[in-house]
Amino acid sequence: MSDAETEWRRLDARMLLIHPVETVVRLLPALLALLVARANSDSDQPWELYALPLIVAFGVLRWFTTRYRITGGRIELRRGLLNKQTTTAQLDKVRTVDLTARIYHRVLGLAKVEISTGGGQRDRLVLDSLRVDEGRRLRAELLHRIDPAVTGLPAPTGVPVTVDASGTDVSATPAPTDEELVRLDPGWVRYAPFTLTGIATAAAGVGFLFQAVGRVRDQGEVIASGTEWVRGLAIWVDVLLLLVVVSVLAAVAYVLNFWGFRLTRNRLGSLHTRRGLLTTRETSIDHGRVRGVQVDEPAGLRLVGARRLKVVTTGLLRERGGADWLVPPAPAAEVVRVATDVVEDDDAVTAPLQPHGRAALRRRLTRTLVPTVFVLVALAVLRSTTDAPAGWYATAPVLLGLAAWLGVDRYAGLGHRVTPRHLVVREGSLDRHRVALERDGVIGWTVRRSFFQRRAGVATLVATTAAGASHYDVVDVTVGRAYEVMEEISPDLLAEFR
Amino acid sequence: MWHRGRMQTEEATTLRAPANLVSRRAVTLWTVEALVPVTGLLVAQVVWWLADDDPDRGVHWLVGAAWLLVSVAYVLVMPRWRWRVHRWEATGRAIYTQTGWVRQERRIAPMSRVQTVDLERGPIAQLLGLASVTVTTASAAGPLRIHALDLPVATELVETLSAAAVLEKGDAT
Repeated sequence: MSDAETEWRRLDARMLLIHPVETVVRLLPALLALLVARANSDSDQPWELYALPLIVAFGVLRWFTTRYRITGGRIELRRGLLNKQTTTAQLDKVRTVDLTARIYHRVLGLAKVEISTGGGQRDRLVLDSLRVDEGRRLRAELLHRIDPAVTGLPAPTGVPVTVDASGTDVSATPAPTDEELVRLDPGWVRYAPFTLTGIATAAAGVGFLFQAVGRVRDQGEVIASGTEWVRGLAIWVDVLLLLVVVSVLAAVAYVLNFWGFRLTRNRLGSLHTRRGLLTTRETSIDHGRVRGVQVDEPAGLRLVGARRLKVVTTGLLRERGGADWLVPPAPAAEVVRVATDVVEDDDAVTAPLQPHGRAALRRRLTRTLVPTVFVLVALAVLRSTTDAPAGWYATAPVLLGLAAWLGVDRYAGLGHRVTPRHLVVREGSLDRHRVALERDGVIGWTVRRSFFQRRAGVATLVATTAAGASHYDVVDVTVGRAYEVMEEISPDLLAEFR
Repeated sequence: MWHRGRMQTEEATTLRAPANLVSRRAVTLWTVEALVPVTGLLVAQVVWWLADDDPDRGVHWLVGAAWLLVSVAYVLVMPRWRWRVHRWEATGRAIYTQTGWVRQERRIAPMSRVQTVDLERGPIAQLLGLASVTVTTASAAGPLRIHALDLPVATELVETLSAAAVLEKGDAT
């Protein structure tokens, strides 16, 4: 290679401090077990101390053997001592760059850089860790190679930040060329209890709390009397108390995740999000990879007039929680504004959608009512063999009513629309989302018909794509309409098979 | 069969079925493949018969009858039904397949988005001189599979597709 002399770069030496901390955190359960075991034994050999030099040695070895460089239109990452590994990625395949700084990274002014070049776990290069400004410069180099003139410009999210001891890089102001699309309003925390993720986090927190309480109950006089007090209360007070606890925990989770959330767009159109209270996270998405947006409107958020926004892009892994969020739960108007701004297509975000017709409604109702009836019958049979009280029969109408509501609401969620630049698809009830997918992002079609769909004369039209969830479905449209949509978006393709 | 007639009358106005049928030996292949799980269930039943100490064999006969009914239907009907549904077509610009039996699918992908073309031959397929072709696109949800082609047809298809895919530039996302 002609430019073989391009300099290899190393990770920041301060990662040597981070590595032992991370290892200790990861081994914390084992260490605790060891400590407990030692407390109960007579041996006073400090075994755990022997491990420390080993951990440090591993860190030093990693620092010495990990090198990276950008050369000849590629980024190369080399690591390993005996088993040398070289990972190479074409620069024009780089899709997203992630900077994550946990609390201990921030104290040292470091950030972990993750470079994604495809959809899979193998398609990523991880540099743990670089200095924050160096990470940002690398990101600029990676995402801006399109125009060599631009690579000379300052880093995309602003002037390299001088990180002080408290690591307040969240408050760094963007360079004047960056356009700010959204900034977190602290008042939005009120939406946290209405999201499923918020509630799930809260539930996990409550569960953890109960376990912890269970562990120390024997000694905890205060806790014991506390539980007694809670038991003594009326049921509605208990429910209220639970709601308050869940809401507070959800709000805490929201603050931890989204504090200082900001979405900016630089002059090349790349999107940058930055968020987090303790662990800060910056995600940069090359605008050339954006294939659309997804407006989430789950039932809880609909109830309070809120929405949230995600980006549909290639190169983000789905399990990487929240990397694709463009707006956290926020007022609908705000989300619509940002969504319109990103896709530059009003109709795709706000225009009414075409409903899917009676057959779709019938199928939604069948799917919610039949299982409910089945469960009720099973319960009735069960009751006839035991002698449980007949009181629960009163719940049957309630359950059926809920099932019918769910069916109707799921039907109300179904809809699609073809705009000059996008295919718009909406579905779901409790987890309703509206996706605007760029026409160019569609890389294939599937028309799927189950036995019952054929009888009802409907089909599920699937637009496959490399971005986001990799397929977006138009559920239960009439067969004729399915082919019309395909025709409208990919006329050449259908012309082949007339 | 009614399901085909129905599909054709409904969809003739917009899209015809793909032109080519798969190999006639596909029926044999699918029959053999169907025998594998059916035989597995039979073995399980024999083991149950031998292991059960209860002198009353009524339940065994009942389950056995159900097994016989479902198995015969599956082994006889599924391969023939699938053979009537499975079709494929490849032009210079697109590839088009129709698969399934109870659940039927039509898939279309433009040649410009094709990333890889694979030829697969299982042990039974090798004995019968058959091969399957899998065409993947950049979408995790979009592979197109053409099952049970005659080997010469399959190899020719792979060559055509590979040549066409190479001509296209970009990363096909």
